[in-house]
Amino acid sequence: MKFHQTVFQSVLALAAVALLAGTSAVSAQQQDKNRQLKKYESGTKEFWTHPPDDWFLGDETEAQKGLAPPSGPPTGASEAELAAMMKKIKLPAGFKIEVYAPGVLAARQMAWGDKGTLFVGSFGLGNVYAIKDNNGKKEVKTILKGLNMPTGLAFKDGALYVIAVDKLIRYDNAEANLDKLGDGKVVYDDMPSYAAHGWKYIAVDKEGWFYLPFGPPFNVGVPPTSVSQIRRVDPKTGNAEIYALGVRNSVGGDVDPRTGKYWFTENARDWISDDLPSDKLNMISKIGEHFGYPYCHQGDLLDTKFAMGHKCSEFTPPVLNLGAHVAPLGMKFYTGDQFPAEYKNNILIAEHGSWNRHKYQGGNITRVIVGPDGKNAKKEVFASGWIEGDQGYLGRPNDIILAKDGSILVADDWAGAIYRISYSKK
Amino acid sequence: MRAVRFGILSVTLSLAALAIVRAQASDNAAIQEKAAVCSGCHGENGISQTENIPSLAGQPDQFIQWQLVFFRAGSRKNDQMQPIVEEITNEDIRNFGAYFAQMTPPKAAEDGDPDLSKKGAQVAVGRRCASCHTDSFAGTKAVARLAGQREEYLVKALHDYKAGQRVGGGVAAMADVAYHMSDEEITAVSHYLAYFK
Repeated sequence: MKFHQTVFQSVLALAAVALLAGTSAVSAQQQDKNRQLKKYESGTKEFWTHPPDDWFLGDETEAQKGLAPPSGPPTGASEAELAAMMKKIKLPAGFKIEVYAPGVLAARQMAWGDKGTLFVGSFGLGNVYAIKDNNGKKEVKTILKGLNMPTGLAFKDGALYVIAVDKLIRYDNAEANLDKLGDGKVVYDDMPSYAAHGWKYIAVDKEGWFYLPFGPPFNVGVPPTSVSQIRRVDPKTGNAEIYALGVRNSVGGDVDPRTGKYWFTENARDWISDDLPSDKLNMISKIGEHFGYPYCHQGDLLDTKFAMGHKCSEFTPPVLNLGAHVAPLGMKFYTGDQFPAEYKNNILIAEHGSWNRHKYQGGNITRVIVGPDGKNAKKEVFASGWIEGDQGYLGRPNDIILAKDGSILVADDWAGAIYRISYSKK
Repeated sequence: MRAVRFGILSVTLSLAALAIVRAQASDNAAIQEKAAVCSGCHGENGISQTENIPSLAGQPDQFIQWQLVFFRAGSRKNDQMQPIVEEITNEDIRNFGAYFAQMTPPKAAEDGDPDLSKKGAQVAVGRRCASCHTDSFAGTKAVARLAGQREEYLVKALHDYKAGQRVGGGVAAMADVAYHMSDEEITAVSHYLAYFK
């Protein structure tokens, strides 16, 4: 029954993004070497609404062939595995990491309720969790199920807001109703339903409006009109404005406590090489700025196919290039008092780590030291140790939130856990 | 995954290996007790005798785990499974994965309609089933074993994917493959896989 081998070694492969996949088995990788390169006509409505399962392979090159998002363990890391992992994480002197809560499968963005409930979104599982502190013991409750990639959430005026691809849903008086949140109320839905890069993040500004990212439904191409942008949305009225253009896949950002400006991380296109282009940290100085995608990457690299006559000098350059395939996601300005004084207003970025690179990098927490003008930014690794070998993960950090005491919490969707990083001088 | 890790350990540390074998054996006893509820529908030894209920024997460890996680999260809907898995722990899920994966998979019966199988084989090639499900259709990691699965269950599963009733969570591979399949294709490929040897 091996009649089809010769012609159809083309491994359609390596199913959907991280959570589903798991086909990166040895046999699949071997088949992979013989097949033809993936090529997709991604600039069509049919592709956006029904992308092939391996849509992210569409622009692969001979050199990068066979790379695909890895799949984590279905039930995350066990408590024994987490305990072993904590010993491997490297931090600057005086800092300590511990498990805050295990069993938070596919954990993504976090938000605090007014009464101390930690809300956590998830990726493909469709869950939203509430974590309560019962005298030091953390109780993880699944409070919402079956949502469409509810990666982003926010808490405001007693309400929990969840963004599930094309619906921003409000659950009133959430902390008093953890057992019966109901269906909520959709407060904004002028968004496309595209699954690819359709998962989102919420950052709340001082006026209570939400910054929402809209990624293109493919790796690279001329984006559909409603995406590759950041919008600013008023959850009270559903009013919205396009705040920035030319943005690829952004899944993290924060409002500068010094200036009120929105800073955001951005994942660059794949399939150029292991070292190009760099992912970015950006700042929006004024409404309507264009950040270059798909014409120009990392501030200085024209796309070979999609530059289409543009120059990089037309676009807002990044504050900082963070490195190729490091996958910067959630980020926060450090406004607490627990860490040493030099951390004040630094940016801490959770890097999810590579898949489109032969030797994974990122997969850490990066510290960026930069003034309010965005000039002369410097970066250094703050916490690391989640990558093992060339293509192995113990965990994948993807969001950061400050706790009241000035420590930080880190969400990990691979190990399905929340960590706490604290500082004490001795 | 557990099994693999245990394997490596047992090579390097014979003492530790002994302890682990014992731990696994007791795990097994506990999980056998819990799995009694499964065999009512999925059959003794994980081979289903019931229409529209899949065989689980020999399914990849991670595939079993994912489906239980999806049922528990409600992203895969099924009236029978939902109440059963509602309170299941992560530890149980890992144990069930290992338990069903080590069982002997169902053997396909004699193919009563080789012509339909021939058509099905073409569909499988055209839709590139083997690229994820492997050339032997035994599945791997998060991807299901198809060889020897109940024919009418394969039809049901493909229709569920096609109709968007089953997604699998996140960006779904099968939903997008099945979306383009005709009913004739589904019938043929299900027959082919059910009798695949």
